[in-house]
Amino acid sequence: MPKTEIRVGGLGGQGVILCGHIIGKAAAIYDNKHATLIQSFGPEARGSACSAQVSLADEPIGYPYVKRPDVLIVMSPDAYSQFAPTLKPGGILLYENELVTLDEKVPEGVTAYGIPATRLAEELGRRLVLNIVMVGFFVGATGLVSPEAAERAVVHSVPKGTEQLNQRAFRKGLEYGLELTGRGNGGPRHDA
Amino acid sequence: MTLEGYPRDLTLKDGTTLGVRPVEADDKDALLAFYRSLPEEDRLFLRDDVTSQLWADRFMASIDYQTVIPLVAVTADRKIVANGTLYRTLHGWTRHVAEVRLAVAREYQRRGLGTAVLRELVRLATSCGVEKIVASVVDNQVGAIRAFEKRGFHREAVLKGHVKDIRGLKRDLVIMSNDVSHIWEAMAAMVADYSPTLGG
Repeated sequence: MPKTEIRVGGLGGQGVILCGHIIGKAAAIYDNKHATLIQSFGPEARGSACSAQVSLADEPIGYPYVKRPDVLIVMSPDAYSQFAPTLKPGGILLYENELVTLDEKVPEGVTAYGIPATRLAEELGRRLVLNIVMVGFFVGATGLVSPEAAERAVVHSVPKGTEQLNQRAFRKGLEYGLELTGRGNGGPRHDA
Repeated sequence: MTLEGYPRDLTLKDGTTLGVRPVEADDKDALLAFYRSLPEEDRLFLRDDVTSQLWADRFMASIDYQTVIPLVAVTADRKIVANGTLYRTLHGWTRHVAEVRLAVAREYQRRGLGTAVLRELVRLATSCGVEKIVASVVDNQVGAIRAFEKRGFHREAVLKGHVKDIRGLKRDLVIMSNDVSHIWEAMAAMVADYSPTLGG
C-alpha cells in the first residue's frame, strides 16, 4: 500500500479523534501496517472544530502531517468547508450527508459518498456512536483497512460494556459503505 | 431483528452447562410447561397468569427483540429452566429505562442461574443504549434480591404492603435499579474529546 493520507474533521464531541485513532490502530496493530496520528482541537473541546490526521503505509512513515488528504471524512459543515478544498484530485470524500451539503468546494475528480451517520447512530440507540458508524463507512467505502482489523480495533478501543453497540454501529457503517460503493456485491448505489 | 451472540453456553457454579438463547416461535409449549412447573408461591409474584394459554399467545406475539427481549436457559433436552425478559419502550419519558423480569425453576435456584441470565440481560440492555434497568422483587425473595445485587442493582424504593403472598399476607415490594449510564458516560468522555496521548 502506498502512503495514504486521511483527514477526519468535525466538531468536538463527535468522536473525531477516536475515529482517526481507531483507523490508525486497525492498520498498525491488526493489519501489520504503519500508521501515524496527529490530532488537533480547539481550546473548548465540545462543539469546537476538531480534526485528526492519519497516515497509513506499508513502510515506516517519516512525515506524519497531512496537507492534501487522499481521503477526507467530514462530520460537520465547518470541517467540510475547511478541508474539502484540500482533497487531492482523485481522492475520496466521505461525509455525514444530513449535516453536510456538497457544493463547488469539492475538487474535480473527487468521489463523494454520503451517509446519515448521526441518524443511524440514533436508531441504534446512541448518538454517541456516530464516529464508529463513520469508521465502518470508511472501511466499507475505501477498503484501506480490513473489516476484521477495524472491528477488533473498535472493540478494543471503546469503554467496557459498550462494545456490542459499538460493534453494531461499525457493522452498520461498513454495510452502508459496501453497498453504496458496490464493494460488497453488485454495483454502486448512486444516491451520493 | 435477531440477537447477536446467541445461542451460547452458560456454566453454573456446580459445573452444569446450560444453553441460553432468545425465545423462539416454537418455544410456546415449552415456556408454558416451564411456568406451569413453578410452585404456586413462585408464580404468585409474577405479574401475569403465566400458566394460561392466553398469556402464552400474547407473550409470543409481543416478542420483537426491540421492546420485548426474552431469553431462556435450556437444558440439553431443550427443557426451559429459566426465563428472563427485558421490557423497554422506544418513545416517551422512560425510553432510557428497561424493566427486567426473571423466573428460575426451583431445582436451579441458588445455583447461580438467575445471576447468569441477569448478566445476559444487563449486557443486552446496555447494547441497546438503555441507561437504567429496574426490577420489582417481593421483600422475602432473598435469593432474587441477592442475584440482582450481584449484578449491580440496589434497592431504590419500597412500596409498603403492595403485594399479597399465597396466604393473603401483605408484603413490601422492593424496586431495585441498576444505573448503567456510567458506561456511556465513559464513552461520552472518550469522544469529547478523546486524546490517546493524554492517556484517554
